[in-house]
Amino acid sequence: MENFINLILEPLKELFLKFKVFVPNLLAMLVILFIGILLALIIKRVLMRFLAAINFDSWSDRMGFTKIMRKGDMWNKPSSTLGLIVFWLLIVLTLMSGLNALQIPAIDQLVSQFFSYIPRFFSAAMILIVGYLFSGFISRAVLITAANSGFHYAKLLAEAVHTLLIVLILAMIMEQLQIAPSIVLAAFSIIFGGIVIALAIAFGVGGIDAARRIIEKEAMTKREDETKDEIEHI
Amino acid sequence: MKNTTFRTEVHEQLERIGQADIIVGIPSFNNARTIGHVVRAVQGGLAKYFPDHKAVIVNSDGGSSDGTSDVVHNSSIDDFNAILLHHRVSPVSKIVFPYSGIPGKGSAFRTIFEIAEVLVAKACAVVEIDLRSITPEWIELLLKPVLVGGYDYVSPLYHRHKFDGTITNSIVYPLTRALYGRRVRQPIGGDFGFSGSLAQYYLTKDVWQTDVARFGIDIWMTTTAIANGFKVTQSFLGAKIHDAKDPGADLSSMLYQVVSATFELMETYSGVWMPIRGTEPVPAFGFEYTVGLEPVNVNTARMLNTFREGLRNLGEIWLDILGAGDFSEVERLGALPDSEFHFPIGLWAQVVYDFALAFHKKILPAEHLIKSMTPLYVGKTASFILEAKDMGQTEADAEIEKLCLEFEKRKDYLVSNWK
Repeated sequence: MENFINLILEPLKELFLKFKVFVPNLLAMLVILFIGILLALIIKRVLMRFLAAINFDSWSDRMGFTKIMRKGDMWNKPSSTLGLIVFWLLIVLTLMSGLNALQIPAIDQLVSQFFSYIPRFFSAAMILIVGYLFSGFISRAVLITAANSGFHYAKLLAEAVHTLLIVLILAMIMEQLQIAPSIVLAAFSIIFGGIVIALAIAFGVGGIDAARRIIEKEAMTKREDETKDEIEHI
Repeated sequence: MKNTTFRTEVHEQLERIGQADIIVGIPSFNNARTIGHVVRAVQGGLAKYFPDHKAVIVNSDGGSSDGTSDVVHNSSIDDFNAILLHHRVSPVSKIVFPYSGIPGKGSAFRTIFEIAEVLVAKACAVVEIDLRSITPEWIELLLKPVLVGGYDYVSPLYHRHKFDGTITNSIVYPLTRALYGRRVRQPIGGDFGFSGSLAQYYLTKDVWQTDVARFGIDIWMTTTAIANGFKVTQSFLGAKIHDAKDPGADLSSMLYQVVSATFELMETYSGVWMPIRGTEPVPAFGFEYTVGLEPVNVNTARMLNTFREGLRNLGEIWLDILGAGDFSEVERLGALPDSEFHFPIGLWAQVVYDFALAFHKKILPAEHLIKSMTPLYVGKTASFILEAKDMGQTEADAEIEKLCLEFEKRKDYLVSNWK
């Protein structure tokens, strides 16, 4: 009978011992979560005040970020959105740190994988931001230069440049995040090559008449240009 | 010679000269073809009108490889009787050297100012290098108001074809006049006279690592003189005829250089121009006479096409800069046939002010912003040409005067939106 009771009590004792070891970890996790959430809230508030002080919303309007947000059905101010993004990033970091405090091997592995992924995530975010600004700058420069030289399809040309740059940037981001890198590389090559071939076919076969018209128009403009304006602008 | 970095041979030359009353600066870069005429005209002017003054010609060169410096050294007037000069002529010193610093006209001028400071010059003049119409009288007209009249800055007045100088006539002159309240007709003329003290004042400004060193020195000199209360006057020099310009020169780059320099100065001197309302004339020297000018070929159909292509392609950018009201007016112009095309002067003044405000608020990178203005400027120029084609010079000048008054009338809009 005693043996039988021991058989029942042993696992319970073991469970109790494990629970005793686990409780401080759980408490540590709860403290980490509490402090982390509090810090995230404070940082969010300070960041939003800082962004308001440096007129981040007006800058975002100028850079076209606000327009992109509206297209994506996001109606918050850019400063609030950035504040929220930073807040949730901190919450995720807090959660991961808290889970790590539990010291459960399976979770530990997950957490270490998460932290080793963070540098890739940040470099992808940097590529996205810099790439977006760069592609906007380049396509606008192309648009203005082409329009000033009287090129009829300036907008189309600028949009094509913008699209190609965005495709290139997205491929770089996917490659950075290691999301099916071989598929991304293949898809990128196919899309990029496809665009070039499509343009060549459209211009060379499908658009023979249009191509002729464009070339003739350009030639006519060049002939007209031969009688140069003689105005001295300065 | 504080803060100056002249080469040893220039130092030696300056020490030999010691002091000079007059400095005439000629900036150059590969101008062997035209510089000889300019140097001879300057020499003639100095000999004829300032025989009792010690004068130095300074050629500040950007590193020419076509023998410009040799031409300067070898250019001299062989027969002074030809310019009706009979008094004794002492040779004029020449300093020819490559300037240091950022390549550009501004850096060349800086060195001329430095030499003026070192030689304690009383009066200085700078002239453009590609002038075909310069005469010895230009030197008298640029220097005498400083030496005799007590003026600090002499801006040129020219007779030009009614279609020439359109950036000056439709942007720089009306804007500068409305902003600073002085009617300086050619603020970016390129041929100026100034006092030694003004040259020293220019050197105190920390602009020599900025775009002023590259381009925009002309408007910077004029605006700095006006905004800082120096005594400004004008001299009528006659016709301004250049050597044939580089046909590859890009209009939008030219517009960017001139307009960005003007807008940048609006930032520097906002405290000066904001309270000013109305304008006052600037006294002028020289005997004004009419000259026959060569006819100018223009293709207004192509210009209007550039305007319409600009509207089609840059409409979204213009909408952000001009706002819905003015943009709808511009859109209306795009629908007009060539024969009825007319760019109202009120709308043009508003467009220039809107671009100045957009530059101030940094809505776009400066180069994109101002280059996107090119088709609007081309449309305004085409409109003026269509209107003025049968006008005489006086009537064409009256049209420019009307435009200037429009800029003055709308200045409150600029001031109230400048935060």
